[in-house]
Amino acid sequence: MESVRFSFPAPEIDESVDELRKEVRAFLKEEVRSGGFIPVTDCWCAGVDPDFSRKLGQKGWIGVTWPRQYGGRDLSALHRYAITEELLVAGAPVHAHWIADRQSGPLILAKGTEDMKRNILPQIAAGKCFVALGLSEPESGSDLASVRTRAARVEGGWEITGTKLWSSGARHCQYMTVLARTGERDPDKRHAGLTQFLVPLDSPGVTVRGIRDMSGVEHFNETHFESAFVPDDAVLGAVGEGWKQVTSELALERSGPERFLSTFIVLEKAMQHSAAGMNGHQAAVFGSILARIRALRAMSLGVAALLDQGHSPEIEAALVKDLGTRLEQDIIERLREFWPIQMKQGYGDEFQSLMSDSLLRQPSFTLRGGTNEVLRGIIARGVGLN
Amino acid sequence: MEQTDQLILDTAHRLFADQCDAETVNRAENCETPDRLWQAIFESGLTLAWVPEAAGGVGGSLALGFNLIRQAASFALPVPLADTLVANLLLAKSGLSVSAGCWAAMAFDGHEVPSLLQGEVSGVVEAASGAPGATVVVVPVLEKEVVRIATFAPSAIDMEHHESLAGEARSRIIFDSAIPSQLSAPVDGMTVDGLKQFCALVRACQIAGALEKITDLTVGYVRERHQFGRPLGKFQAIQHKIADIVGESALTGAAVEQAVRKLSAHPVPFSGDSDMLLPLATAKIVASEAAGRVTRNAHQAHGAMGFSFEYPLQQYSRRVWSWREEFGPEFYWSGRLGMAVASGISSHGSNHGDGGTWDLVSQ
Ligand SMILES: Cc1cc2nc3c(=O)[nH]c(=O)nc-3n(C[C@H](O)[C@H](O)[C@H](O)COP(=O)(O)OP(=O)(O)OC[C@H]3O[C@@H](n4cnc5c(N)ncnc54)[C@H](O)[C@@H]3O)c2cc1C
Repeated sequence: MESVRFSFPAPEIDESVDELRKEVRAFLKEEVRSGGFIPVTDCWCAGVDPDFSRKLGQKGWIGVTWPRQYGGRDLSALHRYAITEELLVAGAPVHAHWIADRQSGPLILAKGTEDMKRNILPQIAAGKCFVALGLSEPESGSDLASVRTRAARVEGGWEITGTKLWSSGARHCQYMTVLARTGERDPDKRHAGLTQFLVPLDSPGVTVRGIRDMSGVEHFNETHFESAFVPDDAVLGAVGEGWKQVTSELALERSGPERFLSTFIVLEKAMQHSAAGMNGHQAAVFGSILARIRALRAMSLGVAALLDQGHSPEIEAALVKDLGTRLEQDIIERLREFWPIQMKQGYGDEFQSLMSDSLLRQPSFTLRGGTNEVLRGIIARGVGLN
Repeated sequence: MEQTDQLILDTAHRLFADQCDAETVNRAENCETPDRLWQAIFESGLTLAWVPEAAGGVGGSLALGFNLIRQAASFALPVPLADTLVANLLLAKSGLSVSAGCWAAMAFDGHEVPSLLQGEVSGVVEAASGAPGATVVVVPVLEKEVVRIATFAPSAIDMEHHESLAGEARSRIIFDSAIPSQLSAPVDGMTVDGLKQFCALVRACQIAGALEKITDLTVGYVRERHQFGRPLGKFQAIQHKIADIVGESALTGAAVEQAVRKLSAHPVPFSGDSDMLLPLATAKIVASEAAGRVTRNAHQAHGAMGFSFEYPLQQYSRRVWSWREEFGPEFYWSGRLGMAVASGISSHGSNHGDGGTWDLVSQ
């Protein structure tokens, strides 16, 4: 019998990480105090503020792991981890740059042309350039390999035709990474013939339309490409390698703190409200949630450490996302016992408003970035069931 | 972990695998003492893993002992190795002599400890572990708020032996002005609460080990067993149960590993300091919650086979069901963790960032 064993080592955290964390925390506290931003729940998806992103860019807190020559600071993944945690728990409006910082930037760094690296990465790091993800389509969700958007070869480049759906934040973005079919569909090789492109969203033939979500935020979008021309050097990575690139990109983004801290701001405020008069039952509810957060954080940091050591902890990362996103939902369900959610925007009360926004946003937690059902399939296959 | 620790763990693994198959575990519960397992453990010196070399022990790290305990639990080892490790650690920490080649009983169950008055011990321990077969009974006692360690020969005290849900020995011991055979000086920094926290982590590690085994058993079973012409593991409903099992088990592992690291960095492991409460409570809460979730899914995936005595799953289910209650179930530790964070916040003022919930839980 084979054994399923995981280990979640402690990452090496040097003083500079703690110092950076303190610096970020102090900055955010001052921003909240001075009205620079109002904390929002699920801030990495629902809080869009390009000016705030620019401020973070000026601070040097975007793209920190990238080489200096491309606008980065050569810092470790742990430095980035600390920054993102602090932003999340403060409910800071970080959505505009989040995707570019987390995955498009690293993708460009790994697969992009020298021009992309030189021209785009520094702009991202400055908080001035944002990138959307063009994966899902009207007919392709979980079954991403079935995408129909096509890129046809034309002189000097490619013509892209199709529709991308649900792209977060695209209206604020300058670019979209588009997964398109460049080879014929082959039922035996479903993952072949796909290519990623880095498409400027102001290209002729591209239109972006906002879609309002159930929480009232116009955060995702529908993007049409009508024979939109992109030059040859818009190919991101290699032609035909799109599937491999996308799956490794998605695997990378599964284990970060945004997979268990999206509703932490609510918990923080709830504790503030009840700390002084906490009874035994409340304490047990809070304690059980906090324990799970601590354990998930140990797991997520463990994955970061494994990545740092050069491993590829794919199952572990999928576990963080499956467990963490369900916890984010549970937090709100469990706090309802003490603060029922009834009125729109909590009747104007700041805390109640965070509660109701969280409830309205939580269905998305276990969908975005690949549904939990799909993740559980990955986990099951990972331990030998297929 | 150090290299020598890993060597010891590997040796222990081989020993357990050789000497403790599923049948041995079932037979032990039917009163057939696993003599060869006993002997092999004594010869290997594993019971002395936490005893310093100067006192004749192995001098292993805290991490080594906790890993041994986790590994032993993944074999449902039907011997009081964990209890003896802890008892011997208490003896060593308090400067008392430790014997090799025998079991030691832990007369401590997380509740009130007997009191010491003018050299005599009085009180009741409801659920001492490892007492039958032990050569020495180790009991923490309190005198004027100070903890000392006392030892007794089993013949010198009143014991009623019972069995836990898992068939593990739990004994009621009545100390009635009993005179210890050894009595330590007050142990520096040791508190009853600190002991309880430590033992809660021991149980959490045991649960972690057992859950790993349950995961292996279940994954193995659904790969082998066919229905409707395919392995059960092909059915998505079953795959999702497996993913849940794997997740809860991995989360438990992460929580206990983190707690062991924190405890290892602490100068006094039994202090019960407030900065240890969070990691230790976290481990016991997550482990105890996982115990219920994992066993439910594992039994469902096994069908009737998992419900039979002969098939090994039940040895692990019954163990985690009893371990989750011992030294405080998840409800108890959740309450304490919640209160600790709440009072941390109130005493700092309620400003996020210093003494806020995040500040406290992210340490
Ligand atoms: C807030 C939010 C932001 C998003 N941002 C982006 C973005 O920026 N870019 C982008 O490209 N996409 C984005 N998405 C889309 C997201 O990636 C998809 O929602 C997701 O991949 C699922 O696809 P779907 O919605 O079409 O659901 P479907 O694939 O139609 O699935 C519906 C249900 O069926 C289940 N299901 C499907 N297939 C299986 C199977 N094989 N086994 C078991 N169950 C199955 C699913 O788990 C789900 O429960 C976003 C989504 C949300 C909610």
